[in-house]
Amino acid sequence: MLKNRVKELRARYGYTQSELGKQVDVTRQTIAFIEKGEFSPSITLSLKLAKVLQVEVGDLFWLEEE
Amino acid sequence: MKQDFRMTYPLWNMAFILILAVMAVGFTSSLVNVTKTDSSLSIETQAVEGFLLFAALIAYLVLITIYLIALQSYNRKNPGKKISPFSMRPPEYMEQDEGMTFITRKAVQKVYTFITWTLPFFALIVMLFPIPRLFIVWGILAVAFGQNLIYYMEMRRHLKEAAE
Repeated sequence: MLKNRVKELRARYGYTQSELGKQVDVTRQTIAFIEKGEFSPSITLSLKLAKVLQVEVGDLFWLEEE
Repeated sequence: MKQDFRMTYPLWNMAFILILAVMAVGFTSSLVNVTKTDSSLSIETQAVEGFLLFAALIAYLVLITIYLIALQSYNRKNPGKKISPFSMRPPEYMEQDEGMTFITRKAVQKVYTFITWTLPFFALIVMLFPIPRLFIVWGILAVAFGQNLIYYMEMRRHLKEAAE
């Protein structure tokens, strides 16, 4: 299962879901789906998120054994 | 997102289907007599069926007027994502980005599963039993209603979760 730190890092930089969404060109809902683990983003979107949140992709997303 | 016309689109479809179900009573009644000549078409119905047909036609016209006004208003407010009433592609698909495309796909998969089971089952029932024409029409409309309901509920569930 894909886990992520999007919510934690977004809070650290003080972004709302809408603000983060705008920076990576997706809707607020998509950011919410990612944070809840409901949706696994594409590599392109993962790279964009990592860039905005200033971390390596591997530090933002990782696989966890079920 | 609540104001997004694409989100409420299945509800419009469901309302139109309900009116069609009432209209079907008038059109499929055995008491309806249709006479066609070279120059005219006359339809005679019994009082109740005739009233239902007339009332449903009026309701349909009223609803389609409200629908077109609402659609025009939405298009004016959202010039970047206009909806055409004549589009072949269902306008309720929400595909602004990959996340929305993902939940739309999930909702469509549920609808597909529903159709896959209900249509053959319905066809079997119609073949096995002498079902009146009205019930067959209602059955088809019920499948269409169910399809819209499933899609709407699934999308609403995802978007409600995203709002929390």
